[in-house]
Amino acid sequence: MKISFLILSGFFLILLLFSITTYINYQQSQKVDENSEKFSKSSTTLRSSNRFQRNILNLVSGLRGYLLTNEPFFIQSYDSAVIENEQILGELRLITNDNPAQKKLLDEIASLYDRWGHEFAQPLLEAKKQATISDSAAKSFDHFYRRKLKEGHENEIQQSIQNKFREFTNSEYAFREEQRQTLTASVQQTRNISFYLTILSIVIGIGIAGFLASHISAGIVKMVEMADSISAGNYNVHVDTRGMDEISRLTASLNNMARVLAEHIMLLNRKNEELNQFAHIVSHDIKTPLRGIDNVVSWIEEDHYADTPRRVKEYVGMIKGRVRRAESLLNGILSYSRIGREIQKKELVSVSELIDEIKGYLPHKKGITLMVQHPLPELYTERLPLFQVFSNLLNNAYHYHNKENGIVRVFHKEMSDHYKFFVEDNGPGIARSYHEKIFVIFQTLQEGDSSESTGVGLAIVKKILTDRKLNIEVMSEPGKGSTFSFTWPKN
Amino acid sequence: MMNHVINILLVEDDILDAMDLQRTLDRMRILYKMKIAKNGEEGLALLEQQDHPLFSGKPDIILLDMNMPRMNGIEFLQILRNSNEWRNIKVFVLTTSDESEDERIMRSLGISGYITKPLKMSNTGSIDAFNLMIDLMNM
Repeated sequence: MKISFLILSGFFLILLLFSITTYINYQQSQKVDENSEKFSKSSTTLRSSNRFQRNILNLVSGLRGYLLTNEPFFIQSYDSAVIENEQILGELRLITNDNPAQKKLLDEIASLYDRWGHEFAQPLLEAKKQATISDSAAKSFDHFYRRKLKEGHENEIQQSIQNKFREFTNSEYAFREEQRQTLTASVQQTRNISFYLTILSIVIGIGIAGFLASHISAGIVKMVEMADSISAGNYNVHVDTRGMDEISRLTASLNNMARVLAEHIMLLNRKNEELNQFAHIVSHDIKTPLRGIDNVVSWIEEDHYADTPRRVKEYVGMIKGRVRRAESLLNGILSYSRIGREIQKKELVSVSELIDEIKGYLPHKKGITLMVQHPLPELYTERLPLFQVFSNLLNNAYHYHNKENGIVRVFHKEMSDHYKFFVEDNGPGIARSYHEKIFVIFQTLQEGDSSESTGVGLAIVKKILTDRKLNIEVMSEPGKGSTFSFTWPKN
Repeated sequence: MMNHVINILLVEDDILDAMDLQRTLDRMRILYKMKIAKNGEEGLALLEQQDHPLFSGKPDIILLDMNMPRMNGIEFLQILRNSNEWRNIKVFVLTTSDESEDERIMRSLGISGYITKPLKMSNTGSIDAFNLMIDLMNM
């Protein structure tokens, strides 16, 4: 599975979970809205029913006041209460439209109220109005009024209305309580669902992030190890890959790269080895006929010295000189091709003792003083290559020296992890334009018939050093001597 | 002092090297008879040949070149060391090779000396060889 696909699907899953959470919360807020609407409706219901009850009291007191005092003020208050009650009943009917039980109660209240009006209030008011016209009417009113009071219907009706209202408000309160409980439960439920969905999202997020981090980091760590191993020269490395994600594909590419690299390096090494062997074999094979020529020429000199003309002797000498030069060139190729072929063991090397030993092999030349710094360091290193480097540099310093009083100095500087060795002479010096040429094999600044100088020494020095990733530098100007310096590791 | 003549088998493909050797032996006043084989196969043939005009029987010393056509010095020496008859003949190797690996292989096959060409009397292999020859002559 691709990592990008995993990241995207994880992101969408989390997004989906949050969308669900948001939707549920939205639903809940709508429920709360609905509930508060219901609550305000219920408050209106209760308020209206209270007003209605209070109005009934006003009605009754207005009616009684009028009946007793005949004051028009009372009848006005009675009328306004009647009008208001019609209004309230209308409102309540509208509000309780969706609640059949309340509606029924309200209908009963309304019919009781009508009954009170028809059976009690209206007849009494009519009678009272008549009573102002005549005494007999007043008497009949009194009589009628007393009878009504005696019947006690009014009280019953009032009682019933009150009871019905109590029932009505109770049912409203019960409805409210029920609403409240439902709402609380649903809020709690929403809260729980939101909580769990959020936790789930976080867990999924952390899980995906953790998986990606560990997977990517593990993959990268493996590849870093691989790259380190390659840069350390071990090309036969392979990182296991499983899966089809980008990291695995990168690893597979790296594996492929390492394999191709290893093949090329192997090919390169084989070519190098072939070249070395070629140089070696060719040098050897050419040496044999060369030695033959030398032998025959020597025999001519030995056996026919007396009867050889002078010119022929000269020519024979020339042949010998060229044979010797050819031999030294071949020996140069051989020693150059041999460098690095034999693995050297490390040992404790005292550079002072090394220089002492080289001193014995140096060409004898009058007037040259070798000044060696004391002490020179002791190293745990390969002895032979260091010997070859010093020996070639010192040989050159001696060989090319052209002054009466020559001084050759060997000294060193200690660096953090390596030494820098110097071989300095006050000989002829080398022009700047030759500073690179002198390190190329067979490049010598001497003429071709000078058998001593083959142009191999510095090439060998350079090869020994570059094989070990070390440096050699030359500082020199014509007439001012030369200083060769090279680095050598402490361990 | 009785001077014995030393019987030498030289296995060497380059006639000039052979001549050089002979001149050196002459100069050293070694008394010798020398059969010359041009390669390892000829060398074995000469060892087996009973009726040779120079000398019959085993040679006192074999001087063996390393690089030769058809059968080189190493192959020749291996056959020699595996035979019952010739395994004890003293063998000096003549070679242009200065590879320590070549020398190691030859020494592991039990040679008496390792002589690098061109012949020089300063070479330890040559010194051993001539000392042996002088001893043989003086027996």
